[in-house]
Amino acid sequence: MNEQSTNRIIRVLLVDDEATLLEYLSKRLLRQGYAVKVSFSGEEAIEAAKQEHFDVAVVDLKMPGIDGVETQRRLREIQPFLQCIVLTGHGSIESALESGHEEAFQYLLKPVDYDNLVTVIKEAYEKKVRLQEEKFQEQLDELRHRGMGPRGMKKAIAELRKIYGF
Amino acid sequence: MDSNKSLEAELKRVKQDLASYKIELHQTRGYLQCILQNSQDMIFATETGGMLVSFSRGGEKLLGYSPAELIGTYIKDLAEDPESFERFFISSQDEGPTVQFDIPFRHKKGDTVLCNVSLINLMNREGQRVGTVGVCRDITMWKKIQEDLVQVDRLAEIGRIASGVAHEINNPLAIIAEASGWAGMVISDAKGLNPEDRKELEKAIKEISHQTGRCRSITHELLDFARGSAPELTEFDIHDILRESINFLRPELKHTSIEVDTQFIPGPLPIKSDPKLLEQVFVNFITNAIHAIRSKGDDKGCIRIKTLTTDSDVEISFEDNGVGITEENQKKIFQLFFSTKAPGKGTGLGLPISQNIIKKLGGTISLDSKPGVGTNLTVRLPLSQV
Repeated sequence: MNEQSTNRIIRVLLVDDEATLLEYLSKRLLRQGYAVKVSFSGEEAIEAAKQEHFDVAVVDLKMPGIDGVETQRRLREIQPFLQCIVLTGHGSIESALESGHEEAFQYLLKPVDYDNLVTVIKEAYEKKVRLQEEKFQEQLDELRHRGMGPRGMKKAIAELRKIYGF
Repeated sequence: MDSNKSLEAELKRVKQDLASYKIELHQTRGYLQCILQNSQDMIFATETGGMLVSFSRGGEKLLGYSPAELIGTYIKDLAEDPESFERFFISSQDEGPTVQFDIPFRHKKGDTVLCNVSLINLMNREGQRVGTVGVCRDITMWKKIQEDLVQVDRLAEIGRIASGVAHEINNPLAIIAEASGWAGMVISDAKGLNPEDRKELEKAIKEISHQTGRCRSITHELLDFARGSAPELTEFDIHDILRESINFLRPELKHTSIEVDTQFIPGPLPIKSDPKLLEQVFVNFITNAIHAIRSKGDDKGCIRIKTLTTDSDVEISFEDNGVGITEENQKKIFQLFFSTKAPGKGTGLGLPISQNIIKKLGGTISLDSKPGVGTNLTVRLPLSQV
């Protein structure tokens, strides 16, 4: 992993309709050096994802409006490398697994243990960076094969960076 | 002459009729006899006062007496409560054609046989009552199944309510955990806090987080119980799990003079089962044993944990010399939310959950307890799951 990714602040999107919970969770994460954005619904989270890039989203499964599984699906449509951690109540985990098995990075049982959540966020972040860089490298190689001039190359790379949120 | 002839003809006809009636009667009797002797039900007949005059083979099977033993005795004396039987018996004589009621009879060996009884008045041609016929069906098993079903139903209902409550409690619990975690961070970063206050606050925060953790495990246990997740099977040494369970409770044992005596068979005892679930059960049993000894007041005692193997099973017994369990409570201790501990000390979940776990792992729990002497809980588990 190169410096670019390891030194970066991890950008976390928290999505839960329980505002008080998010208040304390975000305060703790902020103090530990994470960049945190809170959304109180799936719809709000999707809007947020259109505006800025995130590395990891922590999404509650059960929310009024669009639920956690659908939210993470749409978030990943907007930001394909975004890793989603879905928080589920006891017992809903099986149904959640059925509907969004491959897409979520991990399912965690509520109430989550904070330290455990932080560990999983870090793991999710690493996966995101890895996938992103692989794809970035792939596309970079492709550009090189096309035999662009240095200026065109620079422009294309800048374009890629924008897409990947580097 | 003519009249003589016609008389003869008449006589012949009557004779023929009589013969055919005789056959018919014979057939009817055979038919009735067949029903009487082959019915699983107890069918009896009495004279007007309730003295037995006939008693079917089904009755012999049901109550263990031969007809010879019973003919001439009173039917009411076979009932567990002869007086209430007598009341029914008398009421059956005035009320409609048949009267039905459930009444317990007593088997020759002493067991109770619950029967659904129908009584019918036996009339002669003049319309006078000459006795009573009774048909009794054994409904002991049926009643038991019915009671079990009610019990299962109740348990399911409690499970549903409990899991609903647990779900609801989980959210505020999560907030308490996060808020206290946040407070902990603020405290550890705070400047100008005097060291003693800091220590107090840190201790309080730690306590809050410890207690929310406890609540979390209760709600999860409860939800596990209500939903029943599948066990995860691996191979491990059951002695290790027993030792770990004891070690887990060391802090609790430290302040007592309770001795834990392990009598394990030599060497490791490998078993294929779910170690986490078993540890939960063992910790629960040992905790109960500690409580039972401490409730005795003298704080001295011994918990003996033994292992044994047979061809296909492992037997683990937990024996304590604590207060023991009264016969009445022995029936209830596997019921959800039943606890003899003081409020706040016991949830009434430990044993039913343990039983559920052991059942899931294909084993059984047996209980042997004497008030004032102690309790022995034995778990039998298959060496490997199929």
